[in-house]
Amino acid sequence: MLELKNVSHVYSNGVRALDDVTLIIPKGMFGLLGPNGAGKSTLMRTVSTLQTPTAGSITFDGLDILAEPEALRKRLGYLPQDFGVYPRVSAYDMLDHMAVLKGIGSKGARKDTVETLLNQVNLWDVRKKAIAGFSGGMRQRFGIAQALIGNPDLIIVDEPTAGLDPEERNRFLNLLAEIGENVVVILSTHIVEDVADLCPNMAVLVNGSIKLKGAPVDLIDRARGTIWAKTIGRGELDDYKTRYEVISTRLFAGKTIVHVLSDTDPTNGFEPVDGGLEDVYFSTLAASRRTTDTAQAA
Amino acid sequence: MFGSIALFELRYQLRNPVFWVAIVIFFLLTFGATASPDIQIGSGGNVNVNSPFAILQTQLVLSLFYMFVTTAFVANVVVRDDDSGFGPMVRSTQVTKFAYLIGRFSGAMLAALVAFMVVPLAIYVGSIMPWLDPETVGPNVFSYYALSYLQFAAPTIIMLCAIFFAVATMTRSMIYSYVAVVAFLVIYISFNVIVSGEPEYRDTAALYDPLGLAAIFNETRYWTAAESNSQLPEFGGAILKNRLGVLVVSVLALALAYWRFSFAEKGVSARKAKKLAQKAEKLARTQPQTVATLPATSPETSGWARLSKTTRFEIGQVLRSPAFAVLMAMGLFNSITALAFGNEIYGTAPVPATFSLLPVLAGSFSIIPIIIAIYYSGELVWRDRDRKFHEVIDSTSLPGWAYMVPKTIAVTLVLLSTLLISVIAAIAVQAINGYLNFELGKYFMWYVLPFTVDLVLIAVLAVFLQALSPNKYVGWGLMVIYLVGTLTLAGMGYDHPLLLYGSSGPSALSDMNGDAVGGSVNWWLRLYWGGVALIMAVLAHLLWRRGTETRLAPRLKQLPRRMASPAGALALTGVLTSVGTGVFLYDQMNVQNTYRTEEEGEKLRADYEREYAQYIALKQPSITDMTLKVDLFPEERRMEASGTYQMVNDTGAPVETLHVRLPDTETKLLDVEVPGATLEKNDERFQHRVFRFDTPLPVDATATLSFTSQRWHKALATNGYGRRMVENGTFLDNSEFAVQLGMNRSGLLVDRQTRREQGLDPELRLPKLEDESARERNYVGNADWVNADITVTTAADQVPIAPGTRVSDTVEGDRRIARFQTSNPVLGFFSVQSARYEVETRDWDGVELQVYYDPHHPYNVERMLDAMQASLGYYRANFGPYQFDHARIIEFPGYASFAQAFAGTMPWSENLGFLANLADPDEIDYVTYIAAHEFGHQYWAHQLISAEQQGGTMLVETLAQYSALMVMKDLYGEDQMRRFLKFELDNYLSSRGSEAIEELPLERVENQGYIHYRKGSVVMYLLQDRLGEERVNAMLAGLLEKYRFKSQPYAGSSDLVEGFFSLARNDAERDLVRDLLQKITVYDLAAEEAVVTELDDGRFETTITIAATKYYADGEGVETEADLADEIEVGLFTARPGGAAFAAENVIMMERKPVTSGEQTITVVTNKRPTYVGIDPYNKYVDRNSDDNLVATS
Repeated sequence: MLELKNVSHVYSNGVRALDDVTLIIPKGMFGLLGPNGAGKSTLMRTVSTLQTPTAGSITFDGLDILAEPEALRKRLGYLPQDFGVYPRVSAYDMLDHMAVLKGIGSKGARKDTVETLLNQVNLWDVRKKAIAGFSGGMRQRFGIAQALIGNPDLIIVDEPTAGLDPEERNRFLNLLAEIGENVVVILSTHIVEDVADLCPNMAVLVNGSIKLKGAPVDLIDRARGTIWAKTIGRGELDDYKTRYEVISTRLFAGKTIVHVLSDTDPTNGFEPVDGGLEDVYFSTLAASRRTTDTAQAA
Repeated sequence: MFGSIALFELRYQLRNPVFWVAIVIFFLLTFGATASPDIQIGSGGNVNVNSPFAILQTQLVLSLFYMFVTTAFVANVVVRDDDSGFGPMVRSTQVTKFAYLIGRFSGAMLAALVAFMVVPLAIYVGSIMPWLDPETVGPNVFSYYALSYLQFAAPTIIMLCAIFFAVATMTRSMIYSYVAVVAFLVIYISFNVIVSGEPEYRDTAALYDPLGLAAIFNETRYWTAAESNSQLPEFGGAILKNRLGVLVVSVLALALAYWRFSFAEKGVSARKAKKLAQKAEKLARTQPQTVATLPATSPETSGWARLSKTTRFEIGQVLRSPAFAVLMAMGLFNSITALAFGNEIYGTAPVPATFSLLPVLAGSFSIIPIIIAIYYSGELVWRDRDRKFHEVIDSTSLPGWAYMVPKTIAVTLVLLSTLLISVIAAIAVQAINGYLNFELGKYFMWYVLPFTVDLVLIAVLAVFLQALSPNKYVGWGLMVIYLVGTLTLAGMGYDHPLLLYGSSGPSALSDMNGDAVGGSVNWWLRLYWGGVALIMAVLAHLLWRRGTETRLAPRLKQLPRRMASPAGALALTGVLTSVGTGVFLYDQMNVQNTYRTEEEGEKLRADYEREYAQYIALKQPSITDMTLKVDLFPEERRMEASGTYQMVNDTGAPVETLHVRLPDTETKLLDVEVPGATLEKNDERFQHRVFRFDTPLPVDATATLSFTSQRWHKALATNGYGRRMVENGTFLDNSEFAVQLGMNRSGLLVDRQTRREQGLDPELRLPKLEDESARERNYVGNADWVNADITVTTAADQVPIAPGTRVSDTVEGDRRIARFQTSNPVLGFFSVQSARYEVETRDWDGVELQVYYDPHHPYNVERMLDAMQASLGYYRANFGPYQFDHARIIEFPGYASFAQAFAGTMPWSENLGFLANLADPDEIDYVTYIAAHEFGHQYWAHQLISAEQQGGTMLVETLAQYSALMVMKDLYGEDQMRRFLKFELDNYLSSRGSEAIEELPLERVENQGYIHYRKGSVVMYLLQDRLGEERVNAMLAGLLEKYRFKSQPYAGSSDLVEGFFSLARNDAERDLVRDLLQKITVYDLAAEEAVVTELDDGRFETTITIAATKYYADGEGVETEADLADEIEVGLFTARPGGAAFAAENVIMMERKPVTSGEQTITVVTNKRPTYVGIDPYNKYVDRNSDDNLVATS
């Protein structure tokens, strides 16, 4: 179990990337949802011991990871949001190299590890190819393979599905689902479906603070009856934005479908919808925007 | 469209780090060459640092190195889009092939042209630096900079851009582009090597040398300083053709690139596809070895695997990078060229002994591992970050040491292997030359091991700086500053090896004495700097960027806390090592030895001159007898000397004071006694003592003096243990162990610039020829004719030698004691030598000829004996009796490359003749030449010694050269002499440009080697040719008769000049003597055309068109034309003179014909048909273009 208490981080240029984040993350897949720039990667890097927060504490199964980062690193698998590769190195050699770095000393254990993982992530056939020539999906699969070396207890994957085509994305999420049963897996993403499909628990991070947390099912339940939809002409959108609390808009067959948030029936042709996680997320974002606007107005 | 693409490309290149790195490197290189006397690209002497010639030469030479930069620019244009995956996007736009390809090329080329402008800029900036000696800086003229850049540098850069752009377009690969650069360099330099050996190809080379160097050097080969300072070569003729040709080549290369370039990507060939399929199939057959549960990590037990595997991985990263292959190819190419040609003397390569190859290998190759150390240190430190892989690595359980340690070991192993590869190259060169004694131990101990350590020191510094720098370019920049610092700081007085990081002191290798001179100081210094490196390595480790914090300040703040660790203990070890060895070395170098910076040493000499130069003219008694005892303890590097002098007052007036001095700072003057005189002044600083006779020493009265001295290299000095009193191969002359009477000029500062800096009169000139009083002193330190009795003792296993007849030679206990006595007066100028010698003896005509040599160097011993025999024969027959019953050549370690003549005794460097490889008859036999020259000094110096005034060395060095030439003529025949003469002539002509004071006529030569040796040889050969060898020899024998063993007044060059005038039989001969000896005369003789027609009687009529000019030059090299009316040889041949195969039977006719200024024809009739015809075909005249004297007939 990973516990973050009052974690804040301010960069040297004054940007407050994390603001009093408190989270308890149990075993299983945990989705960290947030728009770009919300501070997700900062949080991921902080948990991965790559940077020290300005304030707060983080423990993993009772281990203070700020005091003993070395101890956590032995149990950690991390797939950063954006990583490159060395030129002229094949997938096999690179994974073998990573296995050494992670502390698998014996040759036999390394062979087991590398070949099992390559097989698992479906890169066996291209093991002798240079990673530099891999497609985005292959590269991400390689990334998860290296994160799995040595059976880590804590796996952190930062925006792994960005830029993958639907098929690759499915394949990747299936991989994650397989491993996410007995260990803590934190999946940070800005794609709602990733979380909806996989995660029993989630949190929404906006502007560095947690705006919402819980199980997606509960959150959807809670939102039930507050989301309303209407199909309008494209020209009418601005008008609706001023009159209602629009949380999302979507084009469908040339018309715009707006979703608005309201505890009561807004009438005017709005229909209640069975809000998905997406609506929950967007309503959280909308609420957050409102607070910011108010704060600025004040 | 075209313009905007070109502009875009230019802007892109200007933001490219390569652009800025190139600017920094080329600026520093050029600036250093201009503003620091320690870095030189060309020129020197009286040629100004910003002379038009220097501006031009610097740009031309640097354009060769710039090839690597231009290729980076233009190949990037082609390769970039494919590498970045942007290519298809760009190519699918509307852009035309022309605009895309040529537009981008133009942009990149402009960037290359702009970046190279820093070279002229840096010359300008360098030339206005305040510390430069104003005499070495000329006026800055904008047009010199602009024209040299536009006419010479720019076309070359354009062509290099175009050629390598074409290569990159065709190969679509950066690696192959660089391979092509290396290939280009290989071909280019081989071309130059061939051409430089064959003067007849020079005109062709001038046209086709793509860099224009040949054309320009052809034009400026014999330029004097005055010409170099005032003009650029005329932009016409071969130069213009060459430059236009270069542009044509550029257009052709671009056209080729345009033709071969295709927007569409090519598919793989059928064959390659099949191969790929086979490979894939093979891969597919192997099944993975899978497990249900992945093995757990065990970081605690995987330390070794982490170390070894990561090290191997890092090594792979270096070895597989294309730059590595390019660097290695460059280094090997450069070093093999240098190894094959580097040690040449008179155009002849020596036997490639390991000790003599190693300095060449180090000089030509080591820049490559230095670049590798610096470049890859940056790459290895920054790679994870550059590749955005650091977050993955940094979040693993990798311990901190596993970053720094494997990378350091990897760089070390890479450096070690590059050095090993260069050793293989050197061994290959040895094997090709038939030298099969591969001394691997020497390679390892004297080269691989020490250089690896030195390079690791550099690599650690680079890693440390990279760990502190905000990005790798800053780190590299700091390393460039370090490198420039190592080159320039020593010149600014920071030359103490304890101050300059990584300096390991002197290195001096010898087969005789091993690395005994520098070896121990080198290793002590490596230990000292190793400690510093260890501290830096620990700091780099503790300051390593882990995670996303890249700022230095927070890491520095954590440093004290992190120091409390095993790493901190290592750092402490480093501190203790450095402090310990530092204290030890400081005590050795600065306390037990006296350390002086170069400037302090110069100041000492300047002070000496200021205080004591006034006594140069003070007349002192002459020594008549010397008894010396020199005890050598080679294993201790210790010498104890004592001596007694008998002297007589031959000055013609009573002598009041006696100046007794031993100015050598390495030898301690312990005691001096002069009975009947009291010590008036004892100047310890200069070891100069002044005694006052209690009553002035009357005319013709005698006095005695005795002294003791000691030389002991007990402690390590900054220069090691010194190179004279050594374990095996000691060579001391009497100025190093015995006192001298009276002050003289030797040891005073000579260099103009240094003298000015020290506030002395810039010129320490010799007395003028007309100064009769100068005849009172001779030029060998005014040494007197003495009887000597020298006892030398040394270790029992060594052979002691000094001048004189060996009267006894015994071994007592562990000492060998030999006593040498002179049978007739000799100059009080002695050498003492001792080493483990082999001796080869030949008795000939009552003289014992001997060669003392190192057992490893038997190659030329017989040749030396033959040479001494031939010399003795010729000199006795022509000059008079030889004064000794022995003549000895004695090898000494190659710390210097010269031979010297003491009485009957000729020390000779192991680098000079003992290793000459003369197996090929085409090589110039310089061993015989030098032996004959030194033997000549037994007459010209040891029988007749000249006055210390202008022209003094003419009687000694020029006549020794003449004697040697006559011996060579006797041995090889007149028709072979052209090779020697041409060598001497070329050397003279090309040295004139670097004259630092002024060129003087031969009769006024002021110890200028290129005049008294080189010009002297040519002039003397012509004079004996015109006036008759026997007549000249008779005149010389007369001079010897007059001056043999005589003291003041000493002989002067006017004696010799008068002798030649007395031999002249007509006006033409008198003019010739005057022109050759009393003026600086340069001729230009050319055979332009020769037409042969067969006559009715079967004979052949040859009509030769010749052009002739004569110039008089002044001391600066300004020439004025003079009327020529002389009789000059015209020759008709059946083969080209100059080769080894050319012999007397190839000569159809050789006759003197009247020649006057201007163009003229000469007609001769011969029985045989000539194929070559020439005027002055054997190059006896001082002809400034001696290559056009011959012409093939038509």
